[in-house]
Amino acid sequence: MARASDPIEMASLFLRGLRSGLDAGLDLPEAAARGAAGLPRGAREGVRAASRRFGGDYGEDEWGYDGEFADAVEPLAAFLYERWWRVHVEGAHKVPAHGRALMAANHAGILPWDGVMVSMAIMREHPLPRQPRFLVLDWAFRLPWVSVAMRKVGGVAASPHNALRLLEQDELVAVFPEGVKGAGKPYGERYRMQRFGRGGFVEVALRAGAPIVPVAVVGSEEIYPKVGEAPALARLVGAPYFPLTPTFPWLGPLGAIPLPSRWRIEFCEPIETASFGPDAVEDRALVLSLAEQVRETIQQKVLENVVKRGPAFL
Amino acid sequence: MLITGVASHIGSALAARLADHPDFDHVAGLDTRRLAQPPPGVELIDADIRDPVIDTLIPRARVDTVVHNQIVRRPGPGMSSRAMHDINVIGSLALLTACERSPTIDTIVIRGSAGIYGSEPAAPQFFTEEMSRLYPLRTRFQRDVGEIEEYFDNFARRHPDVTCTMLRYQPGIGPRRDSQLTRYLSAAVVPTYLGFDPRIQLVHSDDALDALMAAVQRPVRGAVNVAGPGSIGLTRLLRRAGRRTLPLAAPLFAPAADALRRLGLPPLSEDFRRLLRWGRAVDTRRLADEVGFTPRHSTPSAVQDYVRRRDGTRSARAAA
Repeated sequence: MARASDPIEMASLFLRGLRSGLDAGLDLPEAAARGAAGLPRGAREGVRAASRRFGGDYGEDEWGYDGEFADAVEPLAAFLYERWWRVHVEGAHKVPAHGRALMAANHAGILPWDGVMVSMAIMREHPLPRQPRFLVLDWAFRLPWVSVAMRKVGGVAASPHNALRLLEQDELVAVFPEGVKGAGKPYGERYRMQRFGRGGFVEVALRAGAPIVPVAVVGSEEIYPKVGEAPALARLVGAPYFPLTPTFPWLGPLGAIPLPSRWRIEFCEPIETASFGPDAVEDRALVLSLAEQVRETIQQKVLENVVKRGPAFL
Repeated sequence: MLITGVASHIGSALAARLADHPDFDHVAGLDTRRLAQPPPGVELIDADIRDPVIDTLIPRARVDTVVHNQIVRRPGPGMSSRAMHDINVIGSLALLTACERSPTIDTIVIRGSAGIYGSEPAAPQFFTEEMSRLYPLRTRFQRDVGEIEEYFDNFARRHPDVTCTMLRYQPGIGPRRDSQLTRYLSAAVVPTYLGFDPRIQLVHSDDALDALMAAVQRPVRGAVNVAGPGSIGLTRLLRRAGRRTLPLAAPLFAPAADALRRLGLPPLSEDFRRLLRWGRAVDTRRLADEVGFTPRHSTPSAVQDYVRRRDGTRSARAAA
């Protein structure tokens, strides 16, 4: 069969093959394979992969993580990581290379871009890359499309039950203990760590005997500068809060494009918890003091990195 | 040995298997529906579970094990949702009253439903048995299941010598299984929620029967989840099954699904609609560790088997 070279010729060759296949009574995937026969190798494989996915032949693990989907959106994440936010990473090697571990980071904004970038940092800078799972604010799991994309790249609804099960399966898990208080921080309070709730993440780590790795993320708190809130709108759409930024909601969906701040991510020394034993969760004083230790570490490292980074957007 | 709802597919299969088994000498089945082929060696009692007559029937039969298999998950043809509620709640209550008067009973196994957990957007991705009251019971069926579980819990508390096993089944799938899900999967066009792809967990019909059998032989106290391990995205499930989907925005879903009933779509209950939007999966460690039963099919492989056998019968029919 003839091999096409320029894209228009390739497309028409594909469509002609596809139509003759459908006319001959083949299924759509088979017809697509026939149409792709005349294309160069890369395009042929692309069509084959797409029709395979179309037949439902792809993997998801029990949490809904879809490796193929994650690979397919990787270029977008890579663009954000390298060009848009120019992420600088320190201390990635301090994250345990295998076995359970809980990363705790500061957080801002409703969309978990910081979770995605922490994952990217580990996949790129760690000597033994591993795919972390990150806990995402419950509310995001009510949203169409966002909820699906999130679980496919390793997001899991923020519930202590989920975190514990993941750790018991020896996964690397990222949490944002500030929770919704962090997500709703106004711009003026950026990089001021909010209270860590009741220290639920410490309880989970103690129960699982997993080390806690404090992570300081700088840059994420400038991407959606929240200058105000619209509580009436929040009630209307059932959101925990409705942010007003210089671009959102004035520019519609374009307002959801994050600003190109410069980022730094620093992974700190892990805090070991296994020696306390799982019964230590009953010890409120211990739980709170560990939570406070993590909070102080992150706060200090965040401030250090803000200074090291210099101007936010240059 | 008494089985309620013996005329259902799983009920008659269980009765046949128990009648063959040397450990169980007498098997009786209770149902008002007729069985086309009654399994040999099974005594059939033609009585309604809600009928007070079972108050005398059951103590007289001197049964030691009761399998409660008459919890209706979707109204059958000509059954109102009121009648479904009646059979589920009043039927269970009548059965328990009869059990109170039967001192010979030592085991009750109930084929209940994992529907009690509901379907919630940010729920634990694997419900364990103690999480049944994490969320309010939202739908009528959920409340019914909650009520049934409460009755059996109370009974178990007052009769410590009786072992009550509440099996919480995820929806079943299988080539011969007739459930809300298999009907949904055989509609010409399948409505889905636009922008949602929930994680679904299923149990293969063979495993559903084997799990019930395993629980009868090795009953444990309390609730046990029954499901094929793992989960599958609804989109992947529908693509595997080769279904054409019709994604609908959430507010339009219920009216559109009603309109589609004219085109042969089965009625979708509120529970099922919530399942299609938010999904649900359960933890199955208790089934494996305590009942000692490991399903042969994970959720994805149950789907695979369903599609393979469905296509097999279809091409065999086409050849004939």
